[in-house]
Amino acid sequence: MNDKTQGTKFSRRSFLKGLGSGAIGTAVVSTGLIKADPAQAYTPETTGTGRAKKSLTLKVNGKSYKVEVEHRDTLAEVLRDQLGLTGTKIGCDRGECGACTVMINGRNMYSCSQLAVWLEGQDIQTIEGLAKGDKLDPLQEAFIEHDGPQCGFCTSGQIMSGKALLMKNPRANEAQVRRGLSGNLCRCGNYNREVAAVLAVATKAR
Amino acid sequence: MAQAQKEFSVVGKSVARIDAFERVTGQAQYTGDIQLPGMLYARVLRSPHPHARIVSIDTSKAEKLPGVKAVIHHENAKVPWSSGGHTHQRFIFNNPVRFVGDAVAAVAATHRHIAEDALKLIEIKYEKLPHVLDPNEALKPDAPKIAPSGNLSVGKGNFSAPIEETWGDVEQGFKEADRVFEDTYFTKHVNNAQLERRVSVAKWDAGKLTVFASTQGVSNARTDIAKDFGLPLSKVRIVCKYMGGGFGNKNQAQDYDYMAAVLAKVAGQPVKLEFSREDDYIGMHGRWASEQRYKIGVKKDGTITAVALDAVTNMGAYRKQSGNLSGTDFYQIPNFRKHIKPVHTNTVVAANYRAPAYPQSVFGFASFLDQIAHEMGLNPLDMFMRNRIQKYKSKIPFTSNYLEECITEGAKRIGWQEKWHKAGALDGQKKHGIGMALGGYPYRPGLGAATIRLNPDGTAHVLVGVTDIGTGAKSTMAILAAEALGIPLSRIELTNGDTDVTPYSVGESGSRTTPFTGPAVIAAAEDVRRQIFALAAGQLKVKPEELELRNSEVFVKSDPTQKLPLQRVVARAGELIGRATTNRSFKDMEGKSFCAHFAEVEVDTWTGHVTITRYVAVHDSGTIINRLAAESQIMGGVSARDRHGVYRRADHRQTHRGTS
Repeated sequence: MNDKTQGTKFSRRSFLKGLGSGAIGTAVVSTGLIKADPAQAYTPETTGTGRAKKSLTLKVNGKSYKVEVEHRDTLAEVLRDQLGLTGTKIGCDRGECGACTVMINGRNMYSCSQLAVWLEGQDIQTIEGLAKGDKLDPLQEAFIEHDGPQCGFCTSGQIMSGKALLMKNPRANEAQVRRGLSGNLCRCGNYNREVAAVLAVATKAR
Repeated sequence: MAQAQKEFSVVGKSVARIDAFERVTGQAQYTGDIQLPGMLYARVLRSPHPHARIVSIDTSKAEKLPGVKAVIHHENAKVPWSSGGHTHQRFIFNNPVRFVGDAVAAVAATHRHIAEDALKLIEIKYEKLPHVLDPNEALKPDAPKIAPSGNLSVGKGNFSAPIEETWGDVEQGFKEADRVFEDTYFTKHVNNAQLERRVSVAKWDAGKLTVFASTQGVSNARTDIAKDFGLPLSKVRIVCKYMGGGFGNKNQAQDYDYMAAVLAKVAGQPVKLEFSREDDYIGMHGRWASEQRYKIGVKKDGTITAVALDAVTNMGAYRKQSGNLSGTDFYQIPNFRKHIKPVHTNTVVAANYRAPAYPQSVFGFASFLDQIAHEMGLNPLDMFMRNRIQKYKSKIPFTSNYLEECITEGAKRIGWQEKWHKAGALDGQKKHGIGMALGGYPYRPGLGAATIRLNPDGTAHVLVGVTDIGTGAKSTMAILAAEALGIPLSRIELTNGDTDVTPYSVGESGSRTTPFTGPAVIAAAEDVRRQIFALAAGQLKVKPEELELRNSEVFVKSDPTQKLPLQRVVARAGELIGRATTNRSFKDMEGKSFCAHFAEVEVDTWTGHVTITRYVAVHDSGTIINRLAAESQIMGGVSARDRHGVYRRADHRQTHRGTS
């Protein structure tokens, strides 16, 4: 690195961009950080295609929203910043922690790793769409009963992954539940509680 | 271990958190969820060098980028950050920069991507300086100097160096020993990695600064910011309602709170400053790494006669916290000497992470005791039981101590007697092992405050300054209020974490919330009850002291059929307000919680893969307020930490390195 440098910034967006162009240098996942070729990472995006804007309609929790997004805006950003659906959290912003998990066409997905422009017309479900008014989804009830949230920051993602699993496999066993939640980190270490909550709903369905 | 408990109506039961609904529906508003009209987004630029002087910084290109509203750096924002460093002055931007990740500049723009773009347009010329990363190298006379006073981190009070503690006569203790063992254990820097990245939202209204912080302590965050910005406390408001984890690295106010405030001032608009995950790892702090050299003298039966601990802790470029090692606290050591050197290196700062000074040396000391038991042909369970602490520093009694019961119960539950075997007893690829360690944390009472407003319909508002970092502190305070008032938990509404509204709180760190603020909640409830009984005494024509309040009914103690619903008593009172500031302490006693943990592991000697097959944690936590949350805390502590232990492996040179 030379003495005249712009710093160590490297965003997941430019990582996605790198993947798209097949020009990612060395993607090494070791301590949770992704290293890439600095020259690539530090290229200012000020003139790039990422800043181009596009109008589109997003279908979220059964409602349609017309939004204008930059190509580089992730679904997580648009949900939170434009639609005010802040129940979806951003923990790592690079597809590792699962706090941003939503359901897209019934599958649990990291919304930080989906560009909004890819999702026109797709069926997007967030934590806000799970309860029917004040009537909670049974999985939300189970999360309360089993003390699923400690700090609560991973909770939305845990519930959305749990829900996606139960929709596919309503009677999931413990091993399946653990695998179903394996993409969702909880730094309070509350995994046993989260598994117990999902399992409680699955057991009732048996 | 449950102690004999009084009959309580809510305390000690398993109670769902009072804010669980908000947390499972996505309605809980964390700092990063806050959107204010006209709010800008901010990002931070960090040093790529471990030690360098900033020769020049050119922000002209960044400022010209459409949407950029403010760019700040060491030249135009020389704001001190007092709690960021206790041995040498630290600003929110420093020159020279002293570690990779040291903040260099921050940008506020109309969109976070524009702020990110602008960072890349800032041109900085650095002059690289010699750097040192290893704490032992840093102590050598010719090492590059990080602090003006040198790399041994000498500050005042809690930040002195070296950290020394001694009692008894260590040399005499070693003479009395049948055998003396020496060994060294290492632990590495571990990042807190709380799931909520650091974020702060700041705004100014006619000279008053409001910071929506992600902090573990709104009161001390206010104190820090007011001091460093030269503002009266009344002109600073800190709000934190929901907090997405911190584990010690969001204590007080941090540099990002300051940067957001300065950017908001410069831009004249509210600013949300967000850390990236990378910022979070390299820019703030994690648990201090350590090198622990032990000398332990023991009798033939395993009784410890003396312990000497000489250690080095790597505090990074600034001394934010103690750098102490306290894992020997759980053992009865008649003669003791501790000498710890907290050292500066050109690495990211080290400070608090869940029980700051403990896990490093809980690991080191307990591992060494297990090794000594092995070398002396003793059963480690007997070794730990024999040497468990009974009196603090061998002479001061504890307020309570059920460590013996913890060990006995844990050994029974893990099946120690059936499962423990000498090392090397099994052939084959997979080996089995069972081990244990003792632990706990200091319990100290202290300054707390609470206000309770009783409404004319018999419902109550509890106002406390606590933030809820995931421990369930809000629920704990509501449970205490319900119990002490004598009304159901469902009639309690709790407002927390807002310095303009809620009373002082010590800060939710160091296991202090319940012992500091809890007594104030109880005292405030008693204050309300006195007012209720004064009103009801007239209505029931008895003396106030003859009355009791339970389940929202006021009744005469000697004749419970003479009663009034609470809301009838207070219907015309407008509002009853109870308040309390309490500051408890105890003399000639030491407070501690205790625990004994047991793990059974399987090691694949071909691949090195370690599987924890069973784990038993037995805790002496005093009176449990909410059983559900207490169990979650313990299980969470175990599963968040087990990796630290598993990846600390021994090599063949009788030294033990942590790799987590």
